[in-house]
Amino acid sequence: MTQVEQFHYDNKIVKKFAYATMLWGIVGMLVGLIIALQLVFPSLNFDLPFLTFSRLRPLHTNAVIFAFVGNGIFMGVYYSLQRLMKARMFSDLLSNLHFWGWQLIIVSAAATLPFGFTTSGEYAELVWPIDIAITLVWVIFGINMFGTILKRREEHLYVAVWFYIATWVTVAVLHIVRNLELPTSGLHSYGVFSGVQEALVQWWYAHNAVAFFLTTPYLGLMYYFMPKAANRPVYSYRLSIVHFWALIFIYIWAGPHHLLYTSLPDWAQSLGMVFSLMLIAPSWGGMINGLLTLRGAWDRVRQDPILKFMVVAVTAYGMSTFEGPMMSIKSFNAVTHYTDWTIAHVHVGALGWNGMLTFGILYWLLPRIFNTKLYSTNLANVHFWLATLGIIFYAVPLYWGGVTQFLMWREFTPDGFLVYPNFLETVTQIVPMYALRVLGGVIYLTGVILGVYNLLKTTGSAKCVDNEFAEAPAFPQHHVETGVKKHWHSWIERRPMQMLVGSLVLILIGGMVELFPMWWIDDNVPKIASVKPYTPLELQGRDIYVREGCVGCHSQMIRPFRFETERYGDYSKSGEFIYDRPFLWGSKRTGPDLAREGTGKLKKSDSWHYNHMIDPTSISPGSIMPAYPWLAEDDLDISTTAAKINALRKLGTPYDAGYEQIANEDLAVQAQRIAKTLKAEGVDQAGVEKKEIVAMIAYLQRLGVDITLQAQAEK
Amino acid sequence: MFKYILQEAGDINWMATTALVLFFSIFVIGSGWVLTRKKDYVDKVSRLPLDDE
Repeated sequence: MTQVEQFHYDNKIVKKFAYATMLWGIVGMLVGLIIALQLVFPSLNFDLPFLTFSRLRPLHTNAVIFAFVGNGIFMGVYYSLQRLMKARMFSDLLSNLHFWGWQLIIVSAAATLPFGFTTSGEYAELVWPIDIAITLVWVIFGINMFGTILKRREEHLYVAVWFYIATWVTVAVLHIVRNLELPTSGLHSYGVFSGVQEALVQWWYAHNAVAFFLTTPYLGLMYYFMPKAANRPVYSYRLSIVHFWALIFIYIWAGPHHLLYTSLPDWAQSLGMVFSLMLIAPSWGGMINGLLTLRGAWDRVRQDPILKFMVVAVTAYGMSTFEGPMMSIKSFNAVTHYTDWTIAHVHVGALGWNGMLTFGILYWLLPRIFNTKLYSTNLANVHFWLATLGIIFYAVPLYWGGVTQFLMWREFTPDGFLVYPNFLETVTQIVPMYALRVLGGVIYLTGVILGVYNLLKTTGSAKCVDNEFAEAPAFPQHHVETGVKKHWHSWIERRPMQMLVGSLVLILIGGMVELFPMWWIDDNVPKIASVKPYTPLELQGRDIYVREGCVGCHSQMIRPFRFETERYGDYSKSGEFIYDRPFLWGSKRTGPDLAREGTGKLKKSDSWHYNHMIDPTSISPGSIMPAYPWLAEDDLDISTTAAKINALRKLGTPYDAGYEQIANEDLAVQAQRIAKTLKAEGVDQAGVEKKEIVAMIAYLQRLGVDITLQAQAEK
Repeated sequence: MFKYILQEAGDINWMATTALVLFFSIFVIGSGWVLTRKKDYVDKVSRLPLDDE
């Protein structure tokens, strides 16, 4: 007879993560609301750098993904893992280090991103010291999780735990590879990869951040909490196993669908598209499995707000995982890419799948660990309807706006001219949609605030059972045959480390096939002789462009469509980007593409840029671009030039040896030249040659120049 | 562009082939496994979340 052991579950750590989830949920969505408002009323940045759309957008995305959903993951994992393993977490100390470390990272993000400390890779914006902190905290989480699994009392690893394991190992790989960088100072670095290579690594990373941060851990939570809430086992455990292996294997390949019609090699684009289409199968397998778990319990969905939240969450998962593969088809991607369609798509996922599941779990979990009842079921129902309506009001206007804008971009007159040659016309047309989107955000956030109020009232009147008593038979040291035939999967199910290695191998295969051909070849992109490294002033200007987050609204990647080449000039070639660290292709055009801004018919005078930066509406009435007046007020910091040149040379940019010693002299000469031009064009600002704006102008005037020189030489 | 990259990369066909073979193997083995499981085992594991309190 196996001995029954007594122990306690740690609910205190679950409670902490739950509170953090609610707090950062409100903060992240509030920042989202502010920037959504700024697209309607650009003056709402009050001419303050840290309140400007382009700097706040990464704060919003990072807060929602890593702070709100991140804490949601940890809340759910710490609750379910202990119970599935019939064991307390491996170490209370590690649990707390994990919790406080993660919060510290979030606070560091909030203290750096609005102040322009960013690497600009989407969802990987944080500067290198924070990247290291994330690695450390992730390792702590891993030790704690695997320690718990290893000291478990339950023989089998339920499918939710596999999802947690795959999440941990994949996020570790993604985070490290994406953030290989060479520091130039305490808060600045250049990435190891540049141009096309970096683009591939970036979207391999970012797509899989969606896959392995927003999806697989939440699927684990779905497989645990949905049966709990419905009080019946998952519809098909068999299906969940196929779902798991197929999903983690296919997901890792799909990243290049973010780069369709760009300068990425065709083979990589096709790879991304094919695997994205295949993703429908496991994704919908999972969705169907979730929904059918409620078979025979649909009557309860009418009364139980928790089940309502979960049903809408899983439905939203199904919708976005249908939409995603469709958007990966090249011809359809031509429509959605760079438009607000993408924004609508991600919000169906974030607000629907992640948001609704998080609150479904919170409503289920908090009353349990506080051993009480939910304060108000009616209020939870109100929250549910506000959330559902909020998503609709958010997404529909943006789908509409996205398609409208695309149709305007591509419309030609019978004579073959663009009907809307001025990009701004296609923006002002959809500003009413941006206003409606704000309404959707307000509705959703109101629901969240009501939900948090409801949950705080629930916990406020009760005491958390910090240490919940439990008992279970000790782990069987010598497995006793139970009459069930043994097979390979029950073998792997009992061996978490083998499961870890299996998952790692599977995701590495996809990652390697995608990335290695690009890394292996020294000469991976056709060189263009006329493409030269940036001058020191342009380099500093480029880093200001990065700091201000211009890439959030301006792409630098012209696709090979006539309606794009007609508007912006020749389509982009991979060889143009070899010195671009970071690459700045962007993924959304709230403003026009800037790849050829310094050349051809798009070229503007220096004074145009000067005035446009200080007040965009003075040049383009109706523009929703924020004003950047501080660029003309703040002195350019040239003390960093040498370190930057040094770092770039180490990474392969061919600056001559010793150039860093004289780089600032070249910088001053070029700045003087621009200042002189500005003066000649009527901009009379004393000492303008020392201001940041001059560097920014130098960079903008360089865009597209090299490739044009090549074209002229060929002629 | 496609050909250029692949030629420069050397012989990487084995990569694509290996990936394809692995992919199909996982599906075939996985599907074969789930279809041949005894019901009592599947029921037992699928009830794990419900039996943990």
